[in-house]
Amino acid sequence: MQTPPPADAYKAEMRATGGLAVWTLAWTASLALARFAPELWGDSRPAATWAAVMLNVLVGFVWIISLTRWLQALDELQRKIMQDALAVTLGAAWVIGFGYVVAEAAGLVDEVSVAALPVFMAVVFLVAVAAGKIRYR
Amino acid sequence: MKNRIAELRSERAWTQADVAQRIGVSRQTVNAIETQKFDPSLPVAFRLARLFEIRVDELFLDE
Repeated sequence: MQTPPPADAYKAEMRATGGLAVWTLAWTASLALARFAPELWGDSRPAATWAAVMLNVLVGFVWIISLTRWLQALDELQRKIMQDALAVTLGAAWVIGFGYVVAEAAGLVDEVSVAALPVFMAVVFLVAVAAGKIRYR
Repeated sequence: MKNRIAELRSERAWTQADVAQRIGVSRQTVNAIETQKFDPSLPVAFRLARLFEIRVDELFLDE
């Protein structure tokens, strides 16, 4: 992708960052709705529960587009740092995730909440970004 | 890649932030290019060359 001209680069990055922040908040809110709203209306409204879940997935897809645009708007070194961190995160989640699956199937470890994987990925990502920032300091 | 950015920047009394702002990248990027930790893309290399009013092959030294 062509790097935008200097005058537009900062504005493009700020616009993309704002967009990512908005869609991250929207996804978080829709996740909370899908998770907790069904507890309010119980099992009597499965259609509403499905709608809440589908809304979360739809907002999630838009968030993915927003994340891609944000990456493209970044300065090329910052984009390299982020993409390297994403690669490490994906790899770690893949390896640890499947490692856990086989260990749990073999009875070596107790069942862990499904939320543990995204938390693990978030920690790995933050460490990888910090490592990248330090590497190119 | 070895380059003359620090030398040319010093001649003009520009900071890394000044160069970064003029070519539309972060100060960290200018620092990483200057210290040879990161090689820029062609568009950024050409912007740097135009900024210092020299050719790309005079700014970056292929050794």
